[in-house]
Amino acid sequence: MNPWPIRSRSLAAGMVLAALACALSLPPARMLIEQSMLWHMVVQMPMLVVAGSLLMQSVPAARLPDRLARWNAYGLTGFIAAQGIIVYWMLPLAIDRAVVLPATDVLKIVSLLACGALLARAFARSAVVVQLFFLGYTVSMLGSAGLYLLSTTRRLCNAYSLESQFSAGLSMLILASALTIAWAGFTLRRRESVRDPEPARMREAGPRPRTN
Amino acid sequence: MEPNSLPATERPGESAAGLWRTFLASTLVLAASLGLLFAATEGGSAFTTETLRRSAVMRSPQPIPDLQVIDASGVSASLLERRAADPRVWIVDFVYTQCASVCLSLGTVYQRLQAEITERGLQDRVGLVSVSFDPARDDVPALQAYASRWGMKPQVWQVLTLARPGDRRRLLDAFGIMVIPAPLGEFEHNAALHVVDAAGRLVRIVDHDDPGRALAIATALTR
Repeated sequence: MNPWPIRSRSLAAGMVLAALACALSLPPARMLIEQSMLWHMVVQMPMLVVAGSLLMQSVPAARLPDRLARWNAYGLTGFIAAQGIIVYWMLPLAIDRAVVLPATDVLKIVSLLACGALLARAFARSAVVVQLFFLGYTVSMLGSAGLYLLSTTRRLCNAYSLESQFSAGLSMLILASALTIAWAGFTLRRRESVRDPEPARMREAGPRPRTN
Repeated sequence: MEPNSLPATERPGESAAGLWRTFLASTLVLAASLGLLFAATEGGSAFTTETLRRSAVMRSPQPIPDLQVIDASGVSASLLERRAADPRVWIVDFVYTQCASVCLSLGTVYQRLQAEITERGLQDRVGLVSVSFDPARDDVPALQAYASRWGMKPQVWQVLTLARPGDRRRLLDAFGIMVIPAPLGEFEHNAALHVVDAAGRLVRIVDHDDPGRALAIATALTR
């Protein structure tokens, strides 16, 4: 159906997305993230995470050093590191700094790409229940931050106006719901596709014959 | 994402030794993340640039920069010369005279402060200073128009602009003001009241909707 193997597709998509996200930090597109909290927090930052994740998915697991993977059973270490990175970039003072200081902006790009890469490995190695724990935490954090931005009349970022803060809050709520739905859909589809076909065939054949 | 098709023994890290390693690594990463967040927010007390800036100023007062400024009557002098010639504590705010948003409320706040200072006879102890960060547009006539629009009493409230537009960056950095150009020739900027003592040090930054506190701090400094 598709002439491209899935890894090359991930690589190409990851590179395009990473390039687009980086372009948002450079003029003339930088104006968008300088003037809109929504473009900064809800477009560029998630784009970087997704790009990092796609790039990591393009690397075959066998090529990754075992030595590192041994410290990351079930992707637990990766989940915690990724969570730390996400929490940091949700701080208003960190967002302000990324707007004003180019060095911090570079740090933001690198750390969010790394966050995506860590998450790709973590999701690939972890059980659904661990994923749900991480996702639940992230979504509730994103959701409550979004609600706060929507409801407060205090300007939290020196770099953004109150209106910009309001629309960012609203789209953070939408992003939180979208993430939950996307994860649920993805997990259900994956469960379908990896289900062992054997029991299904047996069910069709009727009750098992007795062996003794 | 690939499904976990390998048996657990072939997946790295999922042996007993690997779980201990992961536990150790996770704990270290968690401690490092918490440490970083703790340091970045000053122990969880400051989440915004504004609170960070205020607590820094409160901990250690900062000297104001010596920049050439012009007042509404066209007199040019350095900011420190003006500071030395005036024994009062200053409450300083930053504006641009074309402003149609946040400086309007700042203007109202200053009008109220001016009325209160006059009423309580504090004009020899506390002075109000508005500094423009838009020297390109705010010349002497613009300052005069601003002064008459807000009914400034020169003995209480003065408005200044930079004599050299190139000094703008230094002015904003010294007071921690972030100015972002907005559509229609407007600027987005953080509005606050800056208390500057007679020695020329920025000692406190107060919310612009809490002028009573700024005045209390200023009068306490002159006692």
